[in-house]
Amino acid sequence: MVINTRIFGEVTIDDDKMLRFPGGIVGFPELVDFALIHDADQGEQGGIRWLQSVQEPNFAMPVIDPLVVKNDYNPVVDDNLLKAIDSVDNVLVLVTITVPSDLTKMSVNLKAPFVINVDGKKACQVILEEEYPVKYYIYDILKNNKAEKAGE
Amino acid sequence: MLALSRRKGEALVINNNIEITVLEVKGEQIKLGISAPREVPVYRKEVYIQIQESNKEAMTEPTPELLKKIFE
Repeated sequence: MVINTRIFGEVTIDDDKMLRFPGGIVGFPELVDFALIHDADQGEQGGIRWLQSVQEPNFAMPVIDPLVVKNDYNPVVDDNLLKAIDSVDNVLVLVTITVPSDLTKMSVNLKAPFVINVDGKKACQVILEEEYPVKYYIYDILKNNKAEKAGE
Repeated sequence: MLALSRRKGEALVINNNIEITVLEVKGEQIKLGISAPREVPVYRKEVYIQIQESNKEAMTEPTPELLKKIFE
């Protein structure tokens, strides 16, 4: 399927990279079809992916595996919140990255992760009852990650 | 906005499939019970707005190039 995007122009997406959010995402209930786009150079591991709306070219959010920035992230999610995605046997959890003009204030949203049923291609954004920050600052964490990597 | 008075134990039915019951009234605080179909999400509004704002912020700018550099 070819979709129109502001950031990447026209992109061809394999059907198995399409995701349906039956309930939309928080604040945007009308957007239900998304594609998960990743940088071809980096592959699917570890790097940034983009959750791109199929319906709305302007709507794309950078997302990452939360474990990259918080290795003990393991929230409890109420089963009822996950009914919309049918199965939780094989899930992928991603969080949004917010990058303001002051890079040192960049953050991820640990309070409202995306939970994706990988096999069923269904996803939802849940709001956790647990105390996780909406803005979890990651600038220093990423710097440390980099330093550790360089030291290996 | 429609305003209805309810007592403890009384309920409202919305759209044939959502039921909101007043479970407890304690001073300024009331506890509500909500029965809704699984596809109907229910959020505390202040949290909902916070997440909505965060989603909007995530959408504004960062170019793929910039992000790639940061995460390299």
